[in-house]
Amino acid sequence: MSRPDDIIVDTEHLSRRFGDLVAVRDVTMSVRRGEIFGVLGPNGAGKSTTIRMLCGILAPSGGRGTVVGHDVVTEPERIKQRIGYMTQRFSLYEDLTVLENLRFYAGIYGVERSRRRARIDEVIADAGLADRVEQIAGTLSGGWKQRVALASATIHHPPLLFLDEPTAGVDPVSRREFWDRIHRLSSGGTTVLLTTHYMDEAERCHRLAFIFAGAILDIGEPDEVVQRRRLRVAELEVDRAGEAADALRRAPEVDEVAHFGRDLRLATRELADPGEVARRALTPLGIQVASYREARVTVEDAFVSMVRQEQAG
Amino acid sequence: MRLFVVAWKEMIQLRRDRLTLAMMVVMPVMMLLLFGWAINTDVRHIPTVVFDQDRSAASRDLARSLEATGFYRLAGSVSDYDQIGRAFRSGAARVALVVPPRYAADIRHGHTTRVQLVVDGSDPQTVSSATSTAASLVAARSAELTLARLSRTGGAAASVPIELEPTTWYNPDLRTAVYIVPGLVGVILTMTMVMLTAMAIVRERERGTLEQLIVSPVKNLELMVGKILPYVVMGYVQMTLILAAGRYVFGVPLAGSLALLYALSFVFIAANLSLGLVFSTLARTQQQAMQMSFFFLLPNILLSGFMFPWEGMPEPAQWLSQGLPLTHFLRIVRGVVLRGSGAADLAAEAGALAIIVGVLILLASLRFTKRLA
Repeated sequence: MSRPDDIIVDTEHLSRRFGDLVAVRDVTMSVRRGEIFGVLGPNGAGKSTTIRMLCGILAPSGGRGTVVGHDVVTEPERIKQRIGYMTQRFSLYEDLTVLENLRFYAGIYGVERSRRRARIDEVIADAGLADRVEQIAGTLSGGWKQRVALASATIHHPPLLFLDEPTAGVDPVSRREFWDRIHRLSSGGTTVLLTTHYMDEAERCHRLAFIFAGAILDIGEPDEVVQRRRLRVAELEVDRAGEAADALRRAPEVDEVAHFGRDLRLATRELADPGEVARRALTPLGIQVASYREARVTVEDAFVSMVRQEQAG
Repeated sequence: MRLFVVAWKEMIQLRRDRLTLAMMVVMPVMMLLLFGWAINTDVRHIPTVVFDQDRSAASRDLARSLEATGFYRLAGSVSDYDQIGRAFRSGAARVALVVPPRYAADIRHGHTTRVQLVVDGSDPQTVSSATSTAASLVAARSAELTLARLSRTGGAAASVPIELEPTTWYNPDLRTAVYIVPGLVGVILTMTMVMLTAMAIVRERERGTLEQLIVSPVKNLELMVGKILPYVVMGYVQMTLILAAGRYVFGVPLAGSLALLYALSFVFIAANLSLGLVFSTLARTQQQAMQMSFFFLLPNILLSGFMFPWEGMPEPAQWLSQGLPLTHFLRIVRGVVLRGSGAADLAAEAGALAIIVGVLILLASLRFTKRLA
């Protein structure tokens, strides 16, 4: 088990209201030093609000939290010195060059003058920015902006890095490279807390928190979270796909039916055998199953299932 | 009709843009009031001191009848020319009536007496009317006296009883450029300082870099002052440019101390920058920040005394203009540049400016930190 000083983010019943709107209802979680922790949830679930509270720029309405050993309510300024923060907007100065941006953030984060040059050279090499240092940041493409933003956010070697939807609007290749860098940071000891609504990214995290309507539904390693849902998934090719989907949805064991091209992706609850369920639902209608194969249950399946159940009451 | 669909969509957008809508409604009313108030070159109640060397009933009567025209307001009496200069430099008076010794005696004995009207020429617009009003008053009085003498002696009048000798100080050629150029320093500083600060901060918010800064360890004060500092320098560069161009292109003299002017300008620049900060907390987009700045510039140009004589405005407009930093700065800059006013002469205006700055900084820091939280 982890010792308390292994915990870098620790919250209990954190909440935040904006007038009548409850953005975050109840967030209790612990993030361990060095892990990549994903906060997963649909738009408006309270992900960004949670991150803002953890960064010490938004006071919680209730609950408590400590980040890098400091209280989010009473010591936000001490937190700010030891975290890095990057949003989906890649907040760079678009009229400054890459190098000027890095210099600016190095100065703002108080990187010692004598070490500044070396540190900037280091992040430039890490991010592969050497050929771009003199380019005006505004003229970079999304993927490059993201690299510069990450380099800026880590210029002071923060032990904890917050990334708020860091890959929004970035092409798939850049996203892969970005995740490589995240994993490299993590191996180097940096804790990364990120929000996303890309499910493939969620599977790249060490641990996940599912957040919906301002509350955490589940926390754990991706595999654990998926297993706890007790789902089974199969992909089947049928004729009359629309009719088949309607019939399947009426079956009590069915959690979700989704169209994937010509195939249907069928998820069943309580580890019910999807082949069995399909046969019982479709045979009476005379619908033929042309092909059938059981598939791995993904984080997306688990997440959709969880949100549906929540929405149903 | 597709045309109406487009118009309908436009109407909805217009209705949602509260600020633009408000401006469209408020603008005409404000323009009407401002122009109605400001464009009035009929100056009234111009502050006037009397240097009465005769101290007779006749001389007091002359001063009183001067005030009775409604054009002059007696702002006290002085006992030498130095004091006239001091009153002019501090802005306490714009006109001085100098009554010679033996004024009453000369009139009684049928000699010609010379009354002097000293006018502060730094505002050429008021000089001619100040002079002509006094001239016609004196002429009328002269005519009365002549008639009285004629009826008494029954013969030809030997000479004109009273002559008015107008003298203009501080801009004897009455050149408009001399008056406008120092004022322009104030107008340009108002425009650029307010707009640049407001836009610079709103730009950071729009682009998300402000949030990035708030998450960083940079302190509120470091951020505010750091952002403003380059614009203070810009302000001084602008000011130097205008004064230099005024001097070498338009021949505007510099009567007073440049160091004093630069020192007092700091208070004025600070006022505009804090106002820009306040605007930046109200505006959501750079466009709104720009709209606000222009909206603010209009009353400044019209009511501060930059274009139209302050003395011509009705009281409500004068009260309103006291709240504008430019009103006070214009008096300072014209005082130093044209009349050589010193620190003591301008203490009152500098004090008023400092109060405005205090209020604005308080307002700005209250609003600014609120937005950060």
